[in-house]
Amino acid sequence: MNFSIRRVWVVLRKEITDSLRDWRSVSSSLLTPIFMPVFLIALIMVVGKSVLKESVETSLQLPVMGAEYAPGLMDYLQQNGVNVLPPPQDAHEAVRQGQMNVVLVIPDGYGEKLAKGQPATLELVMDSSRSSAAVDVQRARGLLNGYNATIAALRLQARGVNPGITRPLVVDMVDMATPESQAIIFLNMLPFLLIMTIFLGGLNVIIDTTAGERERGSLEPLLVNPAQRAEMVLGKLGAALPFGVFSVGLTLVLFGIGFNVIPLEEYVGFKMTINPGVLLTLFGICLPMVLFASALQMIVASFTRSYKEAQTYLSFLPLVAGLPGAFLAFLPVKATQEIMLIPMYGQSILINQFLRGETVPGSYLTTSILATLGIAVVLIFVAMRLYMREQILFSK
Amino acid sequence: MIEVNGLYKKFGKVAVLKGMNFQAADGAITGLLGPNGAGKTTTLRVLYGLLKPDAGTARIDGLDVSSQRLEVQRRIGALPDSHGLYPRLTARENIRYYGELHGMSGAALEARIEALSEMLEMGEIIQRRAEGFSTGERMKVAIARAVIHDPQNVLLDEPTNGLDVMSTRAMRAFIRGLREQGKCVLFSSHIMQEVSALCDCIVVMAHGEVAAEGSAEDLLRQTGQSTLEDAFVAAIGSEEGLQQ
Repeated sequence: MNFSIRRVWVVLRKEITDSLRDWRSVSSSLLTPIFMPVFLIALIMVVGKSVLKESVETSLQLPVMGAEYAPGLMDYLQQNGVNVLPPPQDAHEAVRQGQMNVVLVIPDGYGEKLAKGQPATLELVMDSSRSSAAVDVQRARGLLNGYNATIAALRLQARGVNPGITRPLVVDMVDMATPESQAIIFLNMLPFLLIMTIFLGGLNVIIDTTAGERERGSLEPLLVNPAQRAEMVLGKLGAALPFGVFSVGLTLVLFGIGFNVIPLEEYVGFKMTINPGVLLTLFGICLPMVLFASALQMIVASFTRSYKEAQTYLSFLPLVAGLPGAFLAFLPVKATQEIMLIPMYGQSILINQFLRGETVPGSYLTTSILATLGIAVVLIFVAMRLYMREQILFSK
Repeated sequence: MIEVNGLYKKFGKVAVLKGMNFQAADGAITGLLGPNGAGKTTTLRVLYGLLKPDAGTARIDGLDVSSQRLEVQRRIGALPDSHGLYPRLTARENIRYYGELHGMSGAALEARIEALSEMLEMGEIIQRRAEGFSTGERMKVAIARAVIHDPQNVLLDEPTNGLDVMSTRAMRAFIRGLREQGKCVLFSSHIMQEVSALCDCIVVMAHGEVAAEGSAEDLLRQTGQSTLEDAFVAAIGSEEGLQQ
């Protein structure tokens, strides 16, 4: 009797009907995709606000001691949007205790020295070990340098000298960071979250149809039916795939909605969006991983005796498979053809490249898809061999 | 028709079957009687193609169980040692699944389910989910799905285990019904009264071997005892298989 697709379909349809009535299977396929985007977007909102968004739009709050000695400087500061505040009792103590980020101290003889054309000393009280104050200190210094240059230029002009002569160099900073490449700090976590989703989506279906079947005592009578073990394995594996595919699809759709609807720029200071085309590509990259993950889970489940045991072992799988990809968030790795051969890892890199908006060589994409599919097929054959063993029957 | 010749099977270093020989004829009920651990379940598992014998052969309707497994499995209906149902499927869906695995479908399959449901007096449980079924109800569904394809050979592993009196009587009636249809019925039990009440032929097993074989009268004659209980004890050499 030969291999029959019809019997694969009988097994597959039964397992899907059965799983759709199982709250555990449905919830793991439905709740994981909801949790992942909510988790990442919440992270962006909380962390993004405190770390990334620089207080550029807010005006600098600068307490000034002795403001009455330097009316010209005060005018200059106020024209540049600085909110000049009254000084604290003790400027040094206030900065040391962190009550103030920076205090400008103008000494008594300032106006006199300035009028005579002598270098006038100003004191900027700051604490360089306090990183949260660094932005304010830098802005205050920048403004004072600007005022310094303005006065110098005026003095030179008054003596008939071109002020440009004192500025042999003009350094312009050209920042290549695009909003997308800044956003990648967060999006680097996406591959890991997707891999988690892939493993969790069909997890309960796999456990229920393998270890669960044995625990219920329904495996032995099932195996008495005239069906090839290969048909059983394919049917059960096939039943898990729609759950995994659905999970990944829902995750990506929710990410897409989350990034395009929630005004994340208010939290991180720049626009974060993912366009639907990229989401579709990511979905395509994920599909071979769903097959790979389900086959791997079938193999592990074939060695377990009970639902709980299967659950214990299978919860480690996504961590093992996804962690290398998770490290990419911190250690960017250069993509190579060889790396694309590694399931999960290659995809993690590809997903990052697509999110960053880089041009991805088509050969990387094909290598990754074919390699993962190929390894998945090998794993499926291994699973079939395992389910042909006599020991598959025994729970002890 | 079941023929077992010199069946030998070991797990690791432990020989569980040490040269089993017996036959079970069509239109007869054959009982495998023996204490726990005698090898009854292992023998049956070899017959339904789940275990490969290390030596010897087992044939069902002339087909070898190891080399023609799927052909054999089409000709047998089995109620194995464990016979769990799918709790989230209804009784009907549980039975239909096995029918479909046997290649049945459509009206013919539904009619067969209906007939079995009536024969086994399932009543309204046929459309209920199996979750929460009593032992007797579960057993009815397990029997129905085992014989959904109307097999010529029916193998039952301790079919009355855990059943109450009414369910046991129903099970016995069902087994007798199979004999009347000319089926070959092989069932195992460790309870002597059970076997003597039903069987045309008794195969007494002990330690992986056949200790005695024949009708109840044959066994009395062979052992020279006056009661079947004494004959059983004499055959297996101990009292370990007797119901308390």
